[in-house]
Amino acid sequence: MSVALRFSAADFEPVATERTLQAASRPSLSYWQDTWRRLKQNRRASASLGTVVALGALAVAGPWVWRVDPSAQDVDQISQAPAWPPSALIVEPYTAWGGVTAEPTQPGDVVTDVRLAEPATTQAVRLVWEPVIGAAGYVVYRSVYDPAPDRALGLPVGEMVGANRASFEDRLDLEPRRYWYSVVVMDGSRAERETYAALVVDAVRTVSAEDAESRGWAQNAGALEPGDRIDLPYHPLGTDYLGRDLFARLMYGARVSLFIGVVAPLLFVLVGIVWGSAAGFMGGRADQLLMRFADFVIALPFLLFVILFKIAFGIGPGESGVFPMLVALVLLGWPSTARLVRGQILQVRQEGYVSASQLLGARTSYLVFRHMIPQTMGVILVTLTFAVPSAIFTEAFLSFIGMGVAPPTPSWGSMANEGIRTMLSHPHELLFPAVIISVTVLAFNLLGDGLRDALDVRMRGRE
Amino acid sequence: MSALVEARGVTKHFPLGRGRTVHAVDDVSLTIAAQEIVGLVGESGSGKSTFGKTLVGLHDKTAGDVYLEGEKLPTRYTAADYRRYARRMQMIFQDPYSSLNPRMTVGEIIGEGPRLHGGGSGATAREEVGRWLERVGLDRGHAARYPHELSGGQRQRVGIARALVLEPTFVVCDEPISALDVSVQAQIVRLLGEIKADLGLTLLFIAHDLSMVRYVSDRMAVMYLGSLVEVGRSDDVYFRPLHPYTKILVASNPEPDPRSERQRATIPIAGEIPSPVNIRAGCRFATRCPEVMAVCRTVTPELRAMTDGADERRVACHLYEPASEMRRV
Amino acid sequence: MTTSKDAAGDTAGVAAGGGAGGGPGGAAVLDVADLHVEFDTHGGIVKAVRGASFSVRQGKTLAIVGESGCGKSVSVQSIMGLIPMPPGRITRGVARLDGIDIIKQKIINGEEVRGNRVGMIFQDPMSALNPTMRVGDQIAETLQVHRGLSKRHAFARAVEVLATTHIPEADARAKQYPFAFSGGMLQRAMIAMAIACEPDVLIADEPTTALDVTIQAQILDLLEELQRKNGMAIVLITHDLGVVARMADDVAVMYAGEIVESGSVDDVFYRSAHPYTMGLKAAMPSYATSKAIGLRPIEGTPPDLFDPPAGCGYFARCPHAMRLCDPHSPHRFEVGPEHHARCWLHHPSAPRGAAELYRGEPV
Repeated sequence: MSVALRFSAADFEPVATERTLQAASRPSLSYWQDTWRRLKQNRRASASLGTVVALGALAVAGPWVWRVDPSAQDVDQISQAPAWPPSALIVEPYTAWGGVTAEPTQPGDVVTDVRLAEPATTQAVRLVWEPVIGAAGYVVYRSVYDPAPDRALGLPVGEMVGANRASFEDRLDLEPRRYWYSVVVMDGSRAERETYAALVVDAVRTVSAEDAESRGWAQNAGALEPGDRIDLPYHPLGTDYLGRDLFARLMYGARVSLFIGVVAPLLFVLVGIVWGSAAGFMGGRADQLLMRFADFVIALPFLLFVILFKIAFGIGPGESGVFPMLVALVLLGWPSTARLVRGQILQVRQEGYVSASQLLGARTSYLVFRHMIPQTMGVILVTLTFAVPSAIFTEAFLSFIGMGVAPPTPSWGSMANEGIRTMLSHPHELLFPAVIISVTVLAFNLLGDGLRDALDVRMRGRE
Repeated sequence: MSALVEARGVTKHFPLGRGRTVHAVDDVSLTIAAQEIVGLVGESGSGKSTFGKTLVGLHDKTAGDVYLEGEKLPTRYTAADYRRYARRMQMIFQDPYSSLNPRMTVGEIIGEGPRLHGGGSGATAREEVGRWLERVGLDRGHAARYPHELSGGQRQRVGIARALVLEPTFVVCDEPISALDVSVQAQIVRLLGEIKADLGLTLLFIAHDLSMVRYVSDRMAVMYLGSLVEVGRSDDVYFRPLHPYTKILVASNPEPDPRSERQRATIPIAGEIPSPVNIRAGCRFATRCPEVMAVCRTVTPELRAMTDGADERRVACHLYEPASEMRRV
Repeated sequence: MTTSKDAAGDTAGVAAGGGAGGGPGGAAVLDVADLHVEFDTHGGIVKAVRGASFSVRQGKTLAIVGESGCGKSVSVQSIMGLIPMPPGRITRGVARLDGIDIIKQKIINGEEVRGNRVGMIFQDPMSALNPTMRVGDQIAETLQVHRGLSKRHAFARAVEVLATTHIPEADARAKQYPFAFSGGMLQRAMIAMAIACEPDVLIADEPTTALDVTIQAQILDLLEELQRKNGMAIVLITHDLGVVARMADDVAVMYAGEIVESGSVDDVFYRSAHPYTMGLKAAMPSYATSKAIGLRPIEGTPPDLFDPPAGCGYFARCPHAMRLCDPHSPHRFEVGPEHHARCWLHHPSAPRGAAELYRGEPV
């Protein structure tokens, strides 16, 4: 704009202005719409909400999609870590091997040229070596770890007497994995030499056509030829110590956990709402009485009551204790909600709009349901969202110590309990249930946080 | 002038337990004539809001009675009582931010009264809500909005519409403008004046802004610590105050006129407002009164008429007792 | 006098002392020039202060008057560094204390500005005082920090300062916690905290809005007394014209982020030069208002500062608006000695009839 503004006489003519009240320009959002918008903006909360919804879908729809019986045991894949779908090679059925003998030509403390007579399969691993003079016999060891660092040769799988024995066939519990075979020379007094000869062997999974059919991996043995490959049942997350599919168990476990985790809080929040509203609205002696009783209930020991209810309901040690767990959770969990709701009601009672409505002739029930309880909805929703992970974790804990769901019904807690046993060798059996418990609890907690933030600003009123 | 509302000896105490009581309102008698605006002023702790709420029945009366058009109102209200009197007596609340339910739309808030009295929620109800929205200076489209979308002044207009939609005869306005901006206050006051003239309302206007109360009301009553100390025509009370407290109140009230402020002598007031718990006999203002006498500490002064008729002035002060040529402390 | 031009073509006489620092005597202690403050919000950028200039002379009181949202609190808080600067921003302007810009520099001559050279009291004393510390300790804290006094010494001095605010039994009160104080006493305690280091300027942001009128009178008396004793300047922010009339020597009227009128208190009240000032006076009841004349409210609402108008902010509500008022933001015109108004009615070419409306006693 230029510095020297030149105005004409017309510029100074009076103008009628629109002196009306400013109309609200932004679109109208109700309380919940605004809360939802605010929640969506919070990325952590949105991600948590997505996770929770995904978990729900997993629990409800998962078993329809992934139709595997969580109790079925796949003995061929026990404690299997998650991997790509395993396959097996079709071979001729097993025939015995005569073995190889050879006269030793060289003296020595250790055999040489340990090698495979043929490709190693899960049917048999056939080793041959050059024997040595002076050996009274040979001992073959097998290990799943490399014996080199400290001469931990592993499991003795075979002991042969005779210097000319030059072969060994291993058929002991062969799995399609890497083995270290070590051959040690044994002298007359059956003492072993220090040195050993090792061979790394990768056993390939093989199965005969008839076996394949009998195990249900193939429909028709006749259609299979040696050299064909067939796929084994796939366990994307692996299997547990009994060969049960972990993915299926997690999904069914989700059902159990989420059932308890959602139903129990819903029930005890409902009880809490009724109790707290009554106390807050009635006030005076009735309020005192109700809240003192609530304080009493808080003091009751939870675990003791679970056990008591289990006994009371006549559930034995091996039976599933879902119902007593539910009852205990509901009967002991409502006081904190009651207290929260009571606090909200006490606060809302004094608000101008309640008095105004009273003055317009509203009945008590109308005041409570139309004006007071809706104000508590925010608090209740947040309470619910925090109560759910608490209940899930309680259920997991109870199942972990054996007070909850009993086998074979899967539950995340009992799966974690079982996974402890193989924690060092097969960590995935513990990892998956532990991770999913953690993720679920975290997701609900973050969702609760996000909800509370989204609601809190609204509760305080915005200007 | 016929009295529309008459309060006789209205008392409201709040028990704190263990023998302690808050004397919020003590023996207040006030008459409000039909189509009159009576202003009620006082500082915090004066009990003016409590009195207003007791008048309409939101508080139970500890003692005393209230008469509406000669009919005695219940001491304790049930929901049915509120319903019966809803079309005759209403209240406009103070804080526009908490006096509207944030979960309800403006239309629902205003329509609640008719709904509760058999008006339903159909097209006629919506029409009535729309009419009232326009009457209080809002757009009909505001009916779908939520309170948090409106400014303070707009919310107060909604509060006014809500109180008046049932067309009561008597309305208690409990600090209706205190939370609003200066320029908006004048808008609301003007609106109240217009509607009052239209509907022939009688108002009790409770506020702490002395100048505004003087402007708005025909008669003005001053409360201190739960009791009435002075009642009379607004201009009389403001320009010729009799009670020492009223004098201090008026002297402390700053006027938007620099010259007059420079010339004004300030009357110092000592100390703080004493606690309204377990008030003893004697004038409540005795502890801070610049003109206190020996009798003030022991004998509670009564609200006594100084003049008669339309210009009636009543003061509760020993200085104005007939035989009051007593020694000053 | 330098003239600077900003993007709006405003040839404002922006210089040191160019604000409402009218009147002879008393150099300007605090001089704010062309202050612009913005906020980033999720709805956009709010231009809360759009070119405010004001100054306060030594030993005098400047009142900044305006309604909520006009930017008066934001102006002083931004100068004092009390506004979190990520969402807030001072985009332009200087605030000179003793000639040094305190927006850029927080320490002058080795002394901190905030709390030491400039004290501040707020509207709600309950939230300005720490409820977990004794009142005396809180006053002593500022003495320890800024004057380096020992704890014992500082506490003793704190009791003295508290006594100057006429709190009875100051030594006992200093050992109490804020919850034991009433509203008026809390405000006195806050004043004590603010003046403990004998600041040159005391900024009072709506100090009596939450108080009863009799207590307000006491507090205003106290502020005047302290000003006489310490010779400090007071910047008083309020929306109450009565308080302004009572306390102020100079007045700056603020609307929609701008100072629309500034001058001595008599100028602004008796020779009002801006329609908003006139409107405020007409909307406020005073002893002179009678039912016959009545109050005249200002219609409408203040503009949305997300998208401030290019022209005069008061255009939509002004009964004397002219055609050029909307696209062109008014210049700051000198209406009298040390009396300025941002209004096109004072342009030389403006019709004399309209300008005359504003040269007279308040209606």
